[in-house]
Amino acid sequence: MIEASFMSYISLSILLFSIGIIGLISRKNIFIIYMSIELMLNAINLMLVTLSKYFSSMDGQIIAMMVMAIAASEAAVFLSLIVAMFRLKHSLNIDDYNALKQKGTL
Amino acid sequence: MNSHFLAWIVLIPLISSLFLGLMHLYSIKIRKIPDFVFTTLALFAPMASFVLGVLFCIGLYEGASEYIYEPYTWLKVNGYIISMGFLGDRLSIFMTIFVTFIGSMIHIYASGYMKGDGGYGKFFSYFNLFMASMLLLVLANSPLIMFIGWEGVGLCSYLLISFYFTDPLNVVAGNKAFIVNRIGDFGFIIGLVTMFFYVGKLGFDYYALEEYVSLVPIPVLTFIGVALFVGAMGKSAQIPLYVWLPDAMAGPTPVSALIHAATMVTAGVYMVARFHFLYDLIPDVGVFIAYIGAFSALFAAIIAMRQTDIKKILAYSTISQLGYMFIAVGLGGYSTGLFHVFTHAFFKALLFMGAGAVIIALHHEQNIFKMGGLRKKIPLVYITMLTATLAISGIPPFSGFFSKDEILLKAYLHQEYLIYIIGLFTATLTAYYMFRLFFVTFEGKNYSDKKVGELSWSMKAPLVILAFGATFAGFVGLPEVFGAHNLIDSWLEAWSGPALHVEHVQEISLMLISVVAGLIGIGIAYVKFYKYDFSKEIKISGVVYNKFYIDEAYDYVFVKGLQKLSVFISVVVDDGIIDKIVMSISSGFINLGRRVGRMQSANTRAYAFFMLVGISSFSLYLILKLG
Amino acid sequence: MINVIFLILSLFALMGAIGMIMFSNTMHSALSFIVTVMALAGLYALLNASFLFMVQIIIYAGAIITLMLFIIMFLNIREEHAPKEPNKYINMLVVAIVLTPIDYLLFEAFLRMPHIGDFTTKIKNFGDIKMLGDKLFRGWLLPFETISILLLVALIGSIVLARKRERK
Repeated sequence: MIEASFMSYISLSILLFSIGIIGLISRKNIFIIYMSIELMLNAINLMLVTLSKYFSSMDGQIIAMMVMAIAASEAAVFLSLIVAMFRLKHSLNIDDYNALKQKGTL
Repeated sequence: MNSHFLAWIVLIPLISSLFLGLMHLYSIKIRKIPDFVFTTLALFAPMASFVLGVLFCIGLYEGASEYIYEPYTWLKVNGYIISMGFLGDRLSIFMTIFVTFIGSMIHIYASGYMKGDGGYGKFFSYFNLFMASMLLLVLANSPLIMFIGWEGVGLCSYLLISFYFTDPLNVVAGNKAFIVNRIGDFGFIIGLVTMFFYVGKLGFDYYALEEYVSLVPIPVLTFIGVALFVGAMGKSAQIPLYVWLPDAMAGPTPVSALIHAATMVTAGVYMVARFHFLYDLIPDVGVFIAYIGAFSALFAAIIAMRQTDIKKILAYSTISQLGYMFIAVGLGGYSTGLFHVFTHAFFKALLFMGAGAVIIALHHEQNIFKMGGLRKKIPLVYITMLTATLAISGIPPFSGFFSKDEILLKAYLHQEYLIYIIGLFTATLTAYYMFRLFFVTFEGKNYSDKKVGELSWSMKAPLVILAFGATFAGFVGLPEVFGAHNLIDSWLEAWSGPALHVEHVQEISLMLISVVAGLIGIGIAYVKFYKYDFSKEIKISGVVYNKFYIDEAYDYVFVKGLQKLSVFISVVVDDGIIDKIVMSISSGFINLGRRVGRMQSANTRAYAFFMLVGISSFSLYLILKLG
Repeated sequence: MINVIFLILSLFALMGAIGMIMFSNTMHSALSFIVTVMALAGLYALLNASFLFMVQIIIYAGAIITLMLFIIMFLNIREEHAPKEPNKYINMLVVAIVLTPIDYLLFEAFLRMPHIGDFTTKIKNFGDIKMLGDKLFRGWLLPFETISILLLVALIGSIVLARKRERK
């Protein structure tokens, strides 16, 4: 039986964060990349709430709320960006968006 | 006499020079200004300075020890204070008077010589600028201020040698003079800096230096003395830096008379006399200077014997006479050297002006073997030239005799017999080549008949005045053996060196020897050239005519050598080594950039991965470090 | 009791997250992510954060994910739009290996944190909405107002970005 202790919450948070990073780097689908970022934010929120309880301080929860607000605004911007990008190239592949790549050689 | 006027001696020619320059520009660009305006302004400046000089001279005579005027502090850096200062003591006022007097004469002469020239205003602007620089050199109260004048006269010399700059030969001559002088000036600067380094903190005017120069260790002092003398070698055209002076004759003849005979070239002698407190401490350097002077005198005299260009002969004789002056100052007889400077200025200026008159009369012919028989055509020039030639040949009672004889006496009494013999021999040679010039120019037979141009009074008057000067200038330094009072020695008492006892009989016999030496030279010249046959085809060649190939040797060693070195450095060192290193570094960076640039793939995921790898390796480091 | 609930919820959260990054169909991934979000909401409740529990459900599950599903459908994304990712598992493995030191470091850091007692709060009504509001409007007023401005900016920005541009 695993104790529902402080460390188990933290471990869960770290694991979720790592899964978020794995998704971010190894997938090419823009939507999945976006969701990976959201997942990482959630993992951090979980950590903040855990620490809030650990230190008996409300500050952690408030920061978590702020993070949610930022995540919401990010969602708005990111999704409108995806719409604009999809209109431009009709592709969800992140590797297709390389307009800043250097063309030719020196 | 208010010492403020010391500055005006320098300022009047300077301001006049500026005005003349601006007026000349106005004249050639907008509206013609008549020549007499230029003449008036140009002649006013040296004469005003001369009057001021005489007033100061009277002041000194009446008992003032010296005049010092320091208008403002020029530099003040970290305890080193250089003030713009003027010093009017017996030496500098003496120089001022004769420079301004000769300058005035030559200005008058030049107003006739340059008549109708397109650059009339420009010429006098440079001339006045030269006067200002020379007077600043003479009246400066510290070596640094002197150096301003020193460079200023060099600049004016350059400007005036290449005055007719449309002829490339003149430009080359000007460049040569400037560059050779630069070598000398470099030595002068090194000497000044070394001196400044040792005693500059204690004040850098002549009085402070005189007081503290003994604090400098003797080897360093020797170095300073030699370095300063290198500057004098350049300016006063001594071996080995004499080569510019003959070429400097490319300039107009008044320039040769004023700058390259009477005044500027004596700056080196003046400088040595000015630093007499320094050279008194290092007599070995003095002897070295005397030997350089003696060999310069001999060498130049030998070359002069085979030259055909009237101005070149005079140029070599200038080098030769400057050598005499350096013999005197090197042996500690500064007043004797300055006496020769004084008399030489008269007769050499006169010689040049006479030569200029001949050249003008013959419409710019300078080869003496194309002259001949001018005695009847320009008798005034004949008489004045004869005076000057006798003076330079050391025939009493003309001025050159007294000063030259005193120098030989000094050498004899210092037991430098080699110098004495060289001096005596050179005196013979001098008499020979001067009378060769004189006879070929004015006598001879079977010369082609030439039309002679008219000479203006402004050219004749200075000739006459200076002829009197050349005749009688020697009497101010009449030796005591004639029962007279040596005015030069008593005026420049601080510079006259140790008094050497000499028997009257001995002195008189030495005088007779040198007179005989001069007469021998004249005799040989008379035999060879008095009835010179101009119809003979002459062909002069040989080592001496070609000036011992010194110019060619310098050209080969320094100019060509430098050229080769430059080519070597540019091709081998620069292209082969430095450029290769630089280019390989830059191409290395380009290649590196190309490789690193591939990382900039615009692939966002790759960037994220790089970041992750970075953080990960840092974490790994922390884990290993902290355990 | 709580332990069991925690175990179940964390299992759901992990499964949802792993599913989210594994599925190749975008729609499936989004649905899988909802599971994670809901499980996290439950975990907030376990951690005495009742307000955050509600906010998580309303904002994440109710707004963000729904909006995303809406966009997916709006853009009419089908299977062929999704990029081909033949070696995504190998990529995941590599990233996982690289991540190991970071995770280990984080874990170690929390393990070594100063211990301040057991994991139960003594404060009565800890985490209820009254306390949160009190703290928010007394201690965090300026960040709160800043966040509102940020939301406004995001609103305007998203409109500008998604607007159809007129071709010149």
